[in-house]
Amino acid sequence: MELTSVQKDTLTELINIGYARAAGALSDLTGHRITLAVPEVAIHEIEKITPLLHEVIQGEITSVNQFFGGSISGNAILLLDKAAALLLNRLLTDRPQAGVLDESAREVIVEVGNIVLNACLGVFGNLLQVQISFSVPHLEVDDIEHIMRSIRIQDQSFRYALMIHTRFHLRASDVSGYLVIILGVTSLDRLILELRKWEEREVG
Amino acid sequence: MLVSRLLMTDGHEISAPLPSAALQSSPQPSLQSPLEAATLEWIDQFAPYGVIATDRELRVRSWNRWMEQHSGMEAKSVLGRKLTDLFPDLEKRRLVGQLGRALEGEVSVFSTALHGWLLPLQPVAREVDFPFMKQTARIAPLVTRGQIHGVIIVIEDVTQREWQSEILGRQAARDEILAWALAHLMKAEDPRRITREVFCKIAEHLDFDSYLLHLFEPESSTFKLHSSGGIEPEQERLVHVVSSETIPWLAEAKEGQAVVREHVQSTTDPLLENARQFGFGAYVVFPLLVGSTPLGLLCFATRTRDSITPAETDLLSTIAQYLAVALNREKTDRELRAAQQKLNEHAQDLEQKVADRTASLKQIIAELQTFSYTIAHDLRAPIRALKGYCEVLMEDHAEHLPADVAAIVGRLRNSSIQMDALTRDLLEFSKVSRQDLTLSPLDLSHAVPETISLGGVRLVACTTVQLPLHTVLANRTLVVQCISNLLENALKFCHPGIPPVVKIWSELIPAAKKSGKIETGHFSRSRYSLSEPGLETEAAANAPRVRLWFEDNGIGISAEAQGKIFGIFERGDRAGEHEGTGIGLAIVSRAMERMGGECGVESEPGRGSRFWLEFRAATPANPA
Repeated sequence: MELTSVQKDTLTELINIGYARAAGALSDLTGHRITLAVPEVAIHEIEKITPLLHEVIQGEITSVNQFFGGSISGNAILLLDKAAALLLNRLLTDRPQAGVLDESAREVIVEVGNIVLNACLGVFGNLLQVQISFSVPHLEVDDIEHIMRSIRIQDQSFRYALMIHTRFHLRASDVSGYLVIILGVTSLDRLILELRKWEEREVG
Repeated sequence: MLVSRLLMTDGHEISAPLPSAALQSSPQPSLQSPLEAATLEWIDQFAPYGVIATDRELRVRSWNRWMEQHSGMEAKSVLGRKLTDLFPDLEKRRLVGQLGRALEGEVSVFSTALHGWLLPLQPVAREVDFPFMKQTARIAPLVTRGQIHGVIIVIEDVTQREWQSEILGRQAARDEILAWALAHLMKAEDPRRITREVFCKIAEHLDFDSYLLHLFEPESSTFKLHSSGGIEPEQERLVHVVSSETIPWLAEAKEGQAVVREHVQSTTDPLLENARQFGFGAYVVFPLLVGSTPLGLLCFATRTRDSITPAETDLLSTIAQYLAVALNREKTDRELRAAQQKLNEHAQDLEQKVADRTASLKQIIAELQTFSYTIAHDLRAPIRALKGYCEVLMEDHAEHLPADVAAIVGRLRNSSIQMDALTRDLLEFSKVSRQDLTLSPLDLSHAVPETISLGGVRLVACTTVQLPLHTVLANRTLVVQCISNLLENALKFCHPGIPPVVKIWSELIPAAKKSGKIETGHFSRSRYSLSEPGLETEAAANAPRVRLWFEDNGIGISAEAQGKIFGIFERGDRAGEHEGTGIGLAIVSRAMERMGGECGVESEPGRGSRFWLEFRAATPANPA
């Protein structure tokens, strides 16, 4: 399933609204000016997402995973490679850079992931005018194949993945990651329908 | 008890406080099953987390035992009260927004690294110096039948973990500064030049505002200020020189010892007067010692504190020891360099003296050689005249001479013949020593038979040559001279009545075997002599050699005489029985020496002799 360029623009705009809220929350929290940018948005079939991610993010991946349910359900994941996770932690906390993510650093990444995922899913909730319930986020460190496989095993009905390239900018540094929202057919159909309605409302 | 804690005061039910339950949108039964009740009781009584449930107005509706224990507030005193009233700083810290968003359905996570704590609770562990318990918290909406009824907060105590991490962090920072100081002090050729850079950084890192480094001056037995930081120039003048006598503890100081002075401003000790004047609240001094040798004093001081922690003293003590080692190393290096320099100068001086004396000796030798040549040359004409006149007297005037006079003239003639031979041989010896020399490959298979044929019928008859012989690097004239002299001796020193028999052969001595080839009993005259300049290079010395042997059946030479016969005017044991000047073998020895070769003899009295000449072999790898 391909998004039209107009749908892509609409989606990017909506995510930007959510990201602005997340960036504001992160800036308040850390006292540093933080911005979040969305260089690219795309929808892919779930079978294709792992090889695509493999091209852009390699090695040991830190994922913050949050299941959501309600009228639409799915799984939202923030993916950062090892260097990005370590750098993000250091920039946010000022703690000296260690070679591994310790427990405290893992909690920081979970909190950041939680803020970003909440903001993004909150926008979808508003768009679809539905109440979305969230699970408590959890962190996993593994290679991309294992992370994606464990998500598919959780729910076989997941068919599509919305892949959002996400860039954090703070303290003169860029940290790049990917936000992936995995949805079933019904949920995606609803999302696209609502996108179209939103578009019409905006144009009208 | 459970019911009173978990039910709202107005009887409105809070169901399923487990986070996973928050995702369930299917209708829940309004009555608890026994298992659900047991689960809730466990959470209430035993859960190792703080669990708080509020209603939509953020009024506390559940407060488990963990919360009672750690907040010091019993459930009955908090139930029904607003969370923001119990903990007003939630609003100040802008955390109420998170609770509000939970009421809109969001789940939030609070990390200790970004927030420290959610609620200001007292830490359980006493040794930590955090103001409040470090916490990780999760906030989630309480949802049932699709409706959000309130908020659940789960708090985890991570104080111990964070304290351990803090200690490890401090340890890492300590190790880092130690490693940095060690690397700088040991890397520096002269550690005295970088003390300011190193100690300013250490003082800053440890929150000290001053340091002073004094170095010991053995001549005056004082400590002189070498560098300092955080001290005014006029203050520096006060402590520019410190006498050892004013430091009472110095005589018994040990390596790594620290002398800590605290609450300086409130003491009246006259020895601390300077420190009081400088405004120091506390300071620590380390004697820099290697063994019992004082090298200096290192002091760190603070104006903002009255005390110094043992950890700081411990760290600074290690750095002071590093400095002592670095200073000692530099001192040793300096002394070593000076000794080395002196030794080099002495060696150069010695070399120059040897060169001067060698040159002077060579000049004397050259003058002596010229002198002996001149004498021998100039004597030959008068000796020949003497011999000639003797012969004239004996041949032309024999009948006029009385018998006793004729006998005297006969002895005069014999003496003049002997003197003529002596001067001739001396001239040969001089020539061998003086003439210009070129070495070229010489095939002994030709040179030896040719020399024999020149020696006459008798020599040819008694000599056997085992052909082929080797090719050597040599001077043809000198080789002929050596062979002639050896063969002449073989014919001369034979047993009366026994015809002389001479055998000649050669052997190749590979380079590695050369030195081991000289067996006991051999005499090698030229080994100890000065070699011809340019001939005895290392390559030449390691080249393969050829030894040419001359074996006779003559009278032999005693071991004692073997040590002498190659010297000039030296003759064998029974020389009196044979004619000769005692120069022949000296010529051989000098000739071999000049060709970079050696010579020697093996012999036993009565059983003949084996003379040898050793040359450098002319091989393709060893051309002329």
